[in-house]
Amino acid sequence: MAWQRGGWLGLLVLGLLAFWALLAGPSTLMGFDLGKAGTATLVLVAWAALYAISRMPQGEAERGLSPGEWRAWIGLAFMLAATGYFLAHADVFAAAPWRENPEAAAVGRNLVLLLVAWSVLSGILGARWKGRVQEDERDREIEQQAAGWGRGALMACIVGLALMLAFSPADRLAWATHFMIANLLVFALMWGWLCEYVATAVLYWRDRRGAA
Amino acid sequence: MSGTPIANDIRRLRFEQGEMTQQALADACGVTRQTIIALEAGRYAPSLELAFRIARAFGVGVEDVFRWQPLA
Repeated sequence: MAWQRGGWLGLLVLGLLAFWALLAGPSTLMGFDLGKAGTATLVLVAWAALYAISRMPQGEAERGLSPGEWRAWIGLAFMLAATGYFLAHADVFAAAPWRENPEAAAVGRNLVLLLVAWSVLSGILGARWKGRVQEDERDREIEQQAAGWGRGALMACIVGLALMLAFSPADRLAWATHFMIANLLVFALMWGWLCEYVATAVLYWRDRRGAA
Repeated sequence: MSGTPIANDIRRLRFEQGEMTQQALADACGVTRQTIIALEAGRYAPSLELAFRIARAFGVGVEDVFRWQPLA
């Protein structure tokens, strides 16, 4: 039991280090791309955590959480990482268009890596619950409510961007190149998804706490 | 997902059916165990279809499982 707790603690420390490398650390450390290292570490931590969960006997991991809630928390963690990473490196999109901007290309590559890792992990989790009910009408109701929050957040972000671009003086919009605006629209999408995952996780958590 | 005016006797019926587990009932009805927990706690109102599935799993009528109980 003690080594299990130590293992989880180690994974937590590694995960925090990965987030630091992705979000707050310098872009390179001793000539080493910290963004890539952070993404790789985060993926490794997620793999290790899921491997540990998959080794648990059936029932122990699922005692409290439904498959839908597991998916919601994992989605929230990945969306938080992706949105935080995107915001922490937003300045690189103002520099130059994509073709002449290797830093922006690297940010995009790391985001795609996160997305691929998320898909793979979701697939692994799905395989663990194969043959069992993974979603029912209560899950769909929660997803529907959360989708409403996500849609609202996306609309608010798009309206905010539109107002800012429409009413700001031209000299204060020098940073708003077409490449930057394209990335702001991508951010709006990510913001909407993030809010949807936050709402999903909170609704599951609130429901579980209320039922306990 | 908050309180619902539809009360139920799922917990009592489970114990009357040889201490049927929440997981067994969930499997019989095609839902997750957490949905059965939410139903028993009165935090979720099932669809008509699920209400019939639950009643059928116990071999009783829907009104033997669920009843209308307005919130105070």
